[in-house]
Amino acid sequence: MEGFIIALFVCLVLALISKYLSVPAIPFYILAGIVLGKAGLGIVQSDEISQFFSEIGLLFLLFFMGLGLKLDRMIADPKKLLTAGIIGLIVDMGIGFTAAYLLGFTLLESFIIGTAFYITSTAIVITTLIENRKLMMKEAELIIWLEVFEDIVLIAIIALLSSGDKDLLYFFLKIVLALCVMYAIAHYGKEFLVSILDRDDETPILFTFAAVLTTAALAIMFGIPDSMMVIALGAALATTDPEAFEQHARPFKDVFLVMFFVFFGVTINFTAGTDLFSILILCLLAVVSKFISGMLIGITIYGSAMSGLEIWANTISRGEFSIALAVLYGSAVVGTVIAALVIFTTIVGAFTAKYSTWMRRGITHRSRRKALMHRPHSSR
Amino acid sequence: MALRSLKLPGVGTKYEFMTDKGDTVAIFFTTTGTIQMYTLQKGCQSSSAAEMTPVEARRLGNILTGAIIEADQESVEIAFSALADLRVTIHTFYIPRARAGQTIEDLQIRAKTGATVIAVCRQDKNIINPPPSFAFEEGDAALIIGESDQIKKFESEILVE
Repeated sequence: MEGFIIALFVCLVLALISKYLSVPAIPFYILAGIVLGKAGLGIVQSDEISQFFSEIGLLFLLFFMGLGLKLDRMIADPKKLLTAGIIGLIVDMGIGFTAAYLLGFTLLESFIIGTAFYITSTAIVITTLIENRKLMMKEAELIIWLEVFEDIVLIAIIALLSSGDKDLLYFFLKIVLALCVMYAIAHYGKEFLVSILDRDDETPILFTFAAVLTTAALAIMFGIPDSMMVIALGAALATTDPEAFEQHARPFKDVFLVMFFVFFGVTINFTAGTDLFSILILCLLAVVSKFISGMLIGITIYGSAMSGLEIWANTISRGEFSIALAVLYGSAVVGTVIAALVIFTTIVGAFTAKYSTWMRRGITHRSRRKALMHRPHSSR
Repeated sequence: MALRSLKLPGVGTKYEFMTDKGDTVAIFFTTTGTIQMYTLQKGCQSSSAAEMTPVEARRLGNILTGAIIEADQESVEIAFSALADLRVTIHTFYIPRARAGQTIEDLQIRAKTGATVIAVCRQDKNIINPPPSFAFEEGDAALIIGESDQIKKFESEILVE
């Protein structure tokens, strides 16, 4: 318990520092966990309490993801998004998976690393777009929608991974049944739900908390993956009053997700047989592959390598979803790789996102100067 | 001038319009509560941006509607078109040193100008509907309601003397 309090206090200090420097806090939390935990000083141990809190953090992260899936919101040009999304999926997942497999990971491990390699951090990408005042860029809208696209891909992958080797038909029947029940409750109980959410006392926040945890508990009881069901709960409740649910669930998400990151770091164990070489290769490739996919998207959608550069610069950071995958399905080795991946890409990503305008200006200036130098020759 | 608005997942609501001369203005109400305003000059590649708190944004809005007379005094005119186009103006004034210590009754605000003091803001504390015995202090921000003529009269008779 003392370890837990220490971790909480360290996180508070780190949160203040990261907000002051306006850089993403996720890598700091993981690093703090690594330093305090198994791989470092060993002050903080993962126990039942911390595991429970981490689990709640993960559940609320997934619940938020579900709440974000509002079907009534549509992008102006779905074809463009689909093209860009599929390019990203094939290039990034392809490179991540192939590299991991060639480095000697098993097929399943490579698939998880590939997915973690592909999924960028929605939280970091969107916050940095806002903080760097890039919302008006023509690429910004596409980047924002690409995050939604990735969320949908991630849900499909979670469904695929959690089905495992069970009886598939029976398993999917249970899931479909659970989905129907949830949507029926959201549809027929809409007025009741909204009336609860409108209250000024503790009921809305208590209700939100209870709904998420009850759903997870029921899912485990019926043998269906709780991660899937919590996303589905979010998606079903998004048809009632998603803003209110977001507001009431946010405090839980904010606190417990930080615990989730720290205790992910705590459980990292460098002696688990990962060699530094493959970690380094994967980290560098994570930046390079986003450059390739970004360029391809920029050239296909906007016909401009500059747009590609901008997309790359703003979508390097991997974060919460990669870690969630590591915790849900990864082995200790995969966890270490993904931790390194997240820390490395968030640091690189913070720099590229901040200085991309500057990079673009540098490139255009140089090419303009080149053009000027060439002119006397051509006129001669 | 074509105004379009759209919701961006995780970001907030975007309002964008292009002026007749081809400049673009975009406003984002982000989910974090801040408001960002971008302007993009016609033919320019990169936009410039300003981030505002809701209070600052409202202030800017007041300036743009032409309601502000002095930089730190604001006024809002409300028109009720259903009630024979009834127009009411609310204006803030800072109380000068010459009026410190005097009450609303002493100054005979209602009798002299027709306007009414509906609220006073004193060092971040608000006094709504102050009684006639209420004494002003220097630096109080008084909220005056009335017709625009009454407001002008208040300014010339009560504040300047």
